[in-house]
Amino acid sequence: MNKTILVASIVIIIIVAGVAVYFATRPEEEKTVTPTEQTTTTQTTEHHAVEHATESTTMQHAEEMPAEEASQQLPARELGGRNKICVVYDIGGRGDLSFNDMAYLGASKAAKDFGLDLVEVQSTSESDYLPNLRTLARSGKCAVIVAVGFLMTDAVKQVADEHPDQLFAIIDGYIEGKPNVLSVLFKEHEGSALAGALAGMLAHYYGCKAVGVVLGMEIPVLYKFEAGYYWGIRYGEKIYEQHTGQQVEPLKIFFTYTGTFNDPAKGKQATEAQLAQGACIVYNVAGATGLGIFEAVEEAAKREGKDMGPPFAIGVDADQDWIKPGFIIASMMKRVDVGVYTAVKRALDYYNGKVDQYGGVLELGLAEGGVALSKLEDLETFLNMAVEAGTIKPEQKQEIYEKVKAMREQIPDWIWEEAYKLGDTLKTNKDIEVYGLKFSDIEKMIPLDSKEIKEIRDKLKVG
Amino acid sequence: MPEWLRRGLLRFGESVLSLVIGLLVGAIVVYVSGYDPVEAYRSLFEMSFLDIYGLSTSLSAAAPIMLTGITFAVGVRAGLFNIGAEGQLYIGALGAVLVAWIARNWVPALDSPLGTVAAYALGVILAVGLALIAALLKVKRGVHEVVSTIMLNWIAFWVVEYFRVYIVYNPEDPSKTVSVPEQARLPLLMAHSELSLAIIVSIAFTLLTYFLLWHTVEGYELRAAGLNPLAARYAGIKPEKAVILSFLIGGIAAGLAGAGEVLGKPPNYSITTGLSNLYGLGFDGITVALIGANHPIGIIFAAFFVGGLKAGARYMQIFAGIPLEMVRIVEGVIIIALAIPGVFHMLSEYLRRRKELRELQARGE
Repeated sequence: MNKTILVASIVIIIIVAGVAVYFATRPEEEKTVTPTEQTTTTQTTEHHAVEHATESTTMQHAEEMPAEEASQQLPARELGGRNKICVVYDIGGRGDLSFNDMAYLGASKAAKDFGLDLVEVQSTSESDYLPNLRTLARSGKCAVIVAVGFLMTDAVKQVADEHPDQLFAIIDGYIEGKPNVLSVLFKEHEGSALAGALAGMLAHYYGCKAVGVVLGMEIPVLYKFEAGYYWGIRYGEKIYEQHTGQQVEPLKIFFTYTGTFNDPAKGKQATEAQLAQGACIVYNVAGATGLGIFEAVEEAAKREGKDMGPPFAIGVDADQDWIKPGFIIASMMKRVDVGVYTAVKRALDYYNGKVDQYGGVLELGLAEGGVALSKLEDLETFLNMAVEAGTIKPEQKQEIYEKVKAMREQIPDWIWEEAYKLGDTLKTNKDIEVYGLKFSDIEKMIPLDSKEIKEIRDKLKVG
Repeated sequence: MPEWLRRGLLRFGESVLSLVIGLLVGAIVVYVSGYDPVEAYRSLFEMSFLDIYGLSTSLSAAAPIMLTGITFAVGVRAGLFNIGAEGQLYIGALGAVLVAWIARNWVPALDSPLGTVAAYALGVILAVGLALIAALLKVKRGVHEVVSTIMLNWIAFWVVEYFRVYIVYNPEDPSKTVSVPEQARLPLLMAHSELSLAIIVSIAFTLLTYFLLWHTVEGYELRAAGLNPLAARYAGIKPEKAVILSFLIGGIAAGLAGAGEVLGKPPNYSITTGLSNLYGLGFDGITVALIGANHPIGIIFAAFFVGGLKAGARYMQIFAGIPLEMVRIVEGVIIIALAIPGVFHMLSEYLRRRKELRELQARGE
């Protein structure tokens, strides 16, 4: 018995000695890095002065140096040791082949282009958002902290107030009135209009009577998807009539809110109901619930002995065309990577004095490359992402690519051209009118509430 | 040297030894994967325990798992394997949210410390209710508590999910429930941190459990029944009573943990989508109890340590650049190493009891 006590005490002595050695040998500089309460408080009180000071010195430097040299050298120096791009993912995290992986894509590209380090933090629980953001802000090393996902809105609001000297960006979240927060939003209605136009033309081409959309939770962002999609469908029908010279009967349009973003079973059920009523294109606006849409569409086609649509689904957020090759006609891409990259660039521009104001809302649409209808070229990027995540094997890549290509080729080129052309048109001219509703009218109504979306549905004869 | 001190030191020595082994194995894993183990541990321990904000984060992470640790430990002391803390914690959180919901819609007077008390009370009542189902199934029908508590955990999960989606959801942000009104929230112990009064509640209840188990007749009976139900019955103790009492204490602890998570965790003060701010806190309690040798005092330290590890995941990511998956492996290794003595003791205790029972039965008891 005494032996065990002896062993225990020896172990304790070793530990104490180890800790002592650790403290004796740890590098001195680390002490200054570890932020203490004191520095934080001084930072906060001096913040306004500091902010102005940095701004003015940056301007001076920019004047002194030739412009080109300035843009290359200034960030690191003027950022005062803020040489990192810090990205906080929400609980979905990396490996979702969509939102978060795209954020990584954008952040790593920005890190490479601007010569900064990339720090990534994944959140294991909802309660992690606040401490993750706080720790990054306190470290004082982040040129900008990018919070990926609207779930972090509250946490960003709070930490941004505590650290007014730190720049933040939130993707998909709306935070107003903070000079140090940039809200990156997407014009989902623009991309959805292209998806709708494609759906409208395709449905008539295949001679079906209806198209549909399956949605997640009923939140205002999704109204933007809805409105754009319906408008696009009616526009597509008009173009189809013009091109073929025949009168067509207007399509029936179905929409179903499943109330969830992560229940594929519900997505499948809703899609089956729409297919049964004659829909042949179903747009996925439901996150992971949408995986059920793809399944339903694939099963319906296979029941008829086809290994390719119709019926088709339309993917969302990422280029999802590869998930069920041959059954997802295209995807409405919401380029989170572009959003993150743009946010980092804006932060650096602010440090460089190229822009005087950082905070505010940054809306990315067709013109900014923030939303787009997927093309065959986009597939490559996302296939690589899927390979990296281990979802598909490298040898499957070529096969999937060929299948998607074959699917696209069975549709007349003019339909594709018209769909992409609408994208170019909407960049400059939003006054195109269908059913007495201009695209710009829809845009003016944003943010949409439940009454306004009803009005739009009525005008475009939906449901 | 008094017996309790000798045993305490022994357990402490065991834990320290396990920790060293765990750290070594973890370091090897990190090194083999191409990262710097020294940097990894430095960022983990320096930030988790030596930095003032890091310390507050570790403590706030410790608050719920200390209580769910008690749930498991009191079960073990009564000879039970109660893994129902997870579900009871969900339900406890739901109780707090229900009070917030009532305050928002009908009773604005609950936007006050009165609301805090009401939220804790309802959370505890609901959690105890759930725990008692398992207790009664055990006592009346002999349903093994592992089976019943696992099933009840899922029932609780989906009940709370149902409430979150359809009833107590926040109209402004349907991804979460309504938030606790401002005056009813637990005050923060440190500005700009997540550390709230919940930690004090946790420590207080843990100490109370210690007093209950070691300084009251009921506690003595509970432990005696756990050590040997037959001998206890012979001595006039009802093992059924011990089962119910242990589920009762466990339910209160888990209920406090769940309500505390809602009442004292900024910025949401609510239940979020998929219960993602609650998920796993009950099971973490098992780890804490094993490391803390199922003793309330040990659990306080174990919860603090595990809380530090949990909080440390972010520091290893941020300051040592180690991806989360690797961090989880390392922490898993450390935790397993630390839990081994606990598992060993529990297992040998279980085997000893079974052997004694067999012998008794063989003698015709």
